[in-house]
Amino acid sequence: MKHQTKLSQEQQQQHAAEHQTQQQAVREFANAEEMLRYDASQTTVPPGIAQRLQKSTGDLPKPKTAWWKRLLGGANR
Amino acid sequence: MNEPAAGCEFAEESPADLASAEFSSLYAENSRAIYYLALRFLGDPQKAEDATHDVFLKAFRKLDQFRGEASLRTWLYRIAINHCQNLRQAWHDRHVFSNADDAVWENAAARTDSPLRVLEIKELGQRIQKTLDGLPDEYRLLLLLVADEELSYEQVGALVGQSSDAVRGKLHRARKAFAALFEKNA
Repeated sequence: MKHQTKLSQEQQQQHAAEHQTQQQAVREFANAEEMLRYDASQTTVPPGIAQRLQKSTGDLPKPKTAWWKRLLGGANR
Repeated sequence: MNEPAAGCEFAEESPADLASAEFSSLYAENSRAIYYLALRFLGDPQKAEDATHDVFLKAFRKLDQFRGEASLRTWLYRIAINHCQNLRQAWHDRHVFSNADDAVWENAAARTDSPLRVLEIKELGQRIQKTLDGLPDEYRLLLLLVADEELSYEQVGALVGQSSDAVRGKLHRARKAFAALFEKNA
């Protein structure tokens, strides 16, 4: 009897674990934008871009501060 | 779509440096958004990398021309959209392209109020790309821009040359088309 009870508990735990795994595997998105937002958050910008930019901008003259920044003395964001 | 107009000249002295605070923070805050747009619009990681580099290089050269009438994010998006559209146009000019399959999603029965369910998150990126590749450029761009929570419908409208009402209307159709193709690509 005890053996049966233990088996039953193990089966229940296994079933719960499978159910949890299944729940984790299914992901719902309300619409396309939500899915794209998630996709964007999982996207890593290749570090090579910053390195290339550093080289590319290295030989260029530094741009002057924008006229509106000089006027306002701050950033616009 | 026009890029920002020309303005002041560059300074003659001090060499440019990515570490310069202004450009560095511009890159840090916007590189993911611009790279993601390029990646999903062009559908090729290497082209997206090149495009992101070119967009920020253009931005660096034109930073003094930014007039502050729009947000920096919107300004960068404008440069990125022009750049990516030019790349796609050049590709289309070299290849025969047909929209004959458009009816598949135009007449699709997909509902926009049903959630999109995904079983395998690892392959989500590929499936999204395949879905976006099947959409007209207009819908693809619209969805990618609306997905950026920093942009309002008005800003998206300004970027795609439409009113915010038109954006809302087209967004409904774009969602429907995306959902239909996404299901088809399962």
